Amino acid sequence: MTTSSTTATSAFNELIGLADGPRVPDIGDAVVLDNLAKTYRDGTQAVRGISLRVASGESFGILGPNGAGKSTTIGMLGTLVKPTGGRAWVAGHDVVAEPIEVRRRIGFAMQDVGVDAFATASELMVLQGRLHGLRKSDAVRRAQLLLRVVGLDQVAGKRVSTLSGGTKRRVDLAASLMHLPPIVFLDEPTEGLDPRSRTAIWETLTELRHRLGVTLVLTTHDMDEAEALCDRIGIVDRGTLVVEGTPDSLKASDGQTLEAVYLHYTEREAA
Amino acid sequence: MNTLLLAQRALVQFPRNPVVLGFSVVPVLIMYLVFGGLFSGVSDLPGFPTDNYFEFLAPTALLLATVPGMGNAGVALAADLQSRYFQKLLTTPTTVGAVMLGRLLGDCLRLAVQAALVLLLAIALGAHVETGIPGAALMIVMGTLLGIVTFGAVSANLAVRTRDAAAVQAIQPMAFLLIFLTSAYQTADHIDSPVLRTIIDLNPAEYVLRPMRELMLSGYQWDHIAVGFLVIAGLALVALPLTARNYRSVYG
Repeated sequence: MTTSSTTATSAFNELIGLADGPRVPDIGDAVVLDNLAKTYRDGTQAVRGISLRVASGESFGILGPNGAGKSTTIGMLGTLVKPTGGRAWVAGHDVVAEPIEVRRRIGFAMQDVGVDAFATASELMVLQGRLHGLRKSDAVRRAQLLLRVVGLDQVAGKRVSTLSGGTKRRVDLAASLMHLPPIVFLDEPTEGLDPRSRTAIWETLTELRHRLGVTLVLTTHDMDEAEALCDRIGIVDRGTLVVEGTPDSLKASDGQTLEAVYLHYTEREAA
Repeated sequence: MNTLLLAQRALVQFPRNPVVLGFSVVPVLIMYLVFGGLFSGVSDLPGFPTDNYFEFLAPTALLLATVPGMGNAGVALAADLQSRYFQKLLTTPTTVGAVMLGRLLGDCLRLAVQAALVLLLAIALGAHVETGIPGAALMIVMGTLLGIVTFGAVSANLAVRTRDAAAVQAIQPMAFLLIFLTSAYQTADHIDSPVLRTIIDLNPAEYVLRPMRELMLSGYQWDHIAVGFLVIAGLALVALPLTARNYRSVYG
């Protein structure tokens, strides 16, 4: 075991202590979508009625080509986009009627990493934690630990605007975990990252699931990512869910590889 | 609580962005010095309320610091929307209102300090605040509140609608118009043009500037101070529903 992984492990252990003990996945659904739809003001029907359930502790991947409606779907679940049809519940709370209750229970790492150009990595994370109600001392400690978990303790005092794209992503992910949420939404978490950064994020997410029982919902069009991280996958195209299942069941039903399944369903929809 | 945290964030940002900090106060101080020097002869006019023109001009300079300066809040909000940090903040249990109010509050505190600098410069130039420190504080409060309900509200709403810092920056000259179309440089009695006098009478900023000048030159005119705060409250009544309406556009 390397020194850095030992450091990350000990940081994780301390974090678990701060999280009121490890979270064992509950029996039940962390996320429920019931015919969820979104039509933008310009008439674009981004999501045309998606229904699905994600169990607590599960990792669910939303796969689809660009413009399929993945980001809009996860945006609605994260309360950043208002649905125009159907309903959705996150941790038992309606995303439209109870957005603040939803936000208390989720972490959201967005596709376009939003960071404060004038803040240091540590300040960014501490503010995120404090907005979630943490005391300053707790927020400072958690920021230190989480930066160690994602292998970035050396950038704590650096301005986020000076960091590389991959490092910003990891800081953003760490910031999303400040309140140790039971559910984490990730919108294309590793898009455009080099293999090392991508692997680092995958390792962190896998560790999160196994150590804290976190439910993950992520969007991606990376087949490797979907296979590495997801228990189940839903393929969306043109705003509709065209198929869902475990990676193995999808591969068994429609092709040798997940990519073949993806191409099969998205091409069929495009035809 | 979240509003205060976000205001604190804004305050931490200011010294890290010295260009914005410098350009929001230095031009005002230069304008004060230049106009005060150029028009100093105005104070020789019969019936002019003071023989020190810098004293007359100080409340105007204070408004020039607070009203256009509030535009920086809108620019910062637009920058946060462009970078999507605004949306990141909305993934926490906070509201659009808290994010906007936090920004405005942070800028208020910055502008209050800048306004105090203007008054200190006035005093260094021989001006005297008739009502002392309490009156000076009241002038700063009135000037800052006018900045929030006029240009602060306009720039924040524009930021939310356009998500474009350049667009917000472009309306900055409008703030100067709001102030210039008052008795900023001359008492209303000494302005000959009836059209200009009508415009001044219709300009809400005039009803805030007037009691501020009285605090500087003569004393507490409570009825005028009350009218000033009523005007501010009236503008807030227009700005708040407009802002609430624009909140919705943040959520796709």
